[in-house]
Amino acid sequence: MNKILPLFLLLTFLTNKETNKNQFIARQGQVSFFSYASVENIEAQNNQVLSILDIKNKKIAVSMLMRAFVFKKDLMYEHFNESYIESDIYPKATFEGDILDFDTSLSNQTKIIRGTLTIHGKSKNIDIKTKIEKKAKTFILSGEYNVLVKDFDIKIPPILTSNIAKIINIKFRFQYQPYEE
Amino acid sequence: MNKKNKGLFILAALLLVVNTYYYILPYFTKSTKNLELVASDVSINTSDLIKSYQNNENKANILYNEKIVEVRGFVKEVSFVNNRSTVLLYSKDNSSGVICDVNKSQIKKIKLLKEHQEIIVKGICKGFLKDVVLLNCYIDLNFNE
Repeated sequence: MNKILPLFLLLTFLTNKETNKNQFIARQGQVSFFSYASVENIEAQNNQVLSILDIKNKKIAVSMLMRAFVFKKDLMYEHFNESYIESDIYPKATFEGDILDFDTSLSNQTKIIRGTLTIHGKSKNIDIKTKIEKKAKTFILSGEYNVLVKDFDIKIPPILTSNIAKIINIKFRFQYQPYEE
Repeated sequence: MNKKNKGLFILAALLLVVNTYYYILPYFTKSTKNLELVASDVSINTSDLIKSYQNNENKANILYNEKIVEVRGFVKEVSFVNNRSTVLLYSKDNSSGVICDVNKSQIKKIKLLKEHQEIIVKGICKGFLKDVVLLNCYIDLNFNE
């Protein structure tokens, strides 16, 4: 939860109009995950992920609601929120990071974003290879990353271990717009 | 088939039907039901809903999350980012808004929407980031009639 505070601070900075020129916002970022297991594959998509990109400080912040992940079946949604992620206790997942060697003049580049991913109340420092496209005055960031379920203290009952992969593939795509009040 | 066997057969058939209904069917049901004919749990305007989350997010999470919320507000924009149909409702006294991810059955209505038009949207509330998020939304354009 303490990781949410910097995001709010970042949002507060956005109220300063001087900094607005360097701030971009994606209110409808897309994050999806895929679990490949012998019993069944599980995938879910969240299309309302919030992200702020600060091109001056080369920083990015992401926040998403765990309950906004949409599954193919109701039962998967129920297990995900109630048994594994415990969305009532940990309603959000966040990421904050620095884009290493980010050059805002390039129209296409692939960079490493180094930061902290927080899921289920547990934080982990990670590096994510990210494709950055610049189109007119907007930016599109996309990429994928594999997370280990055990890194985030997500408990899966032994009887269900064959249903859920140990490594979950996460894909993301954020289409930013200049920030406006 | 004697009477005893017949009774057992009926009992087994009954158990099969009940178990299928409660345990098997949920595996195949989709979470995108049309909310048009489902009664809402809460009816509120955009501004009050946003303020409720801004004043006390934990309390608002308990009040609204996973509830069917009917919200009245003004259209800021309609977007089709990521192949989703989304209506953004704004509040006159707040930079936050309500993001409504619209059910596929409502696509015709979305195309009729104009900026600043007042509408009622009914959806399942998921929580608050910079905006309140409603999923699987149904749009009511003729609420005054």
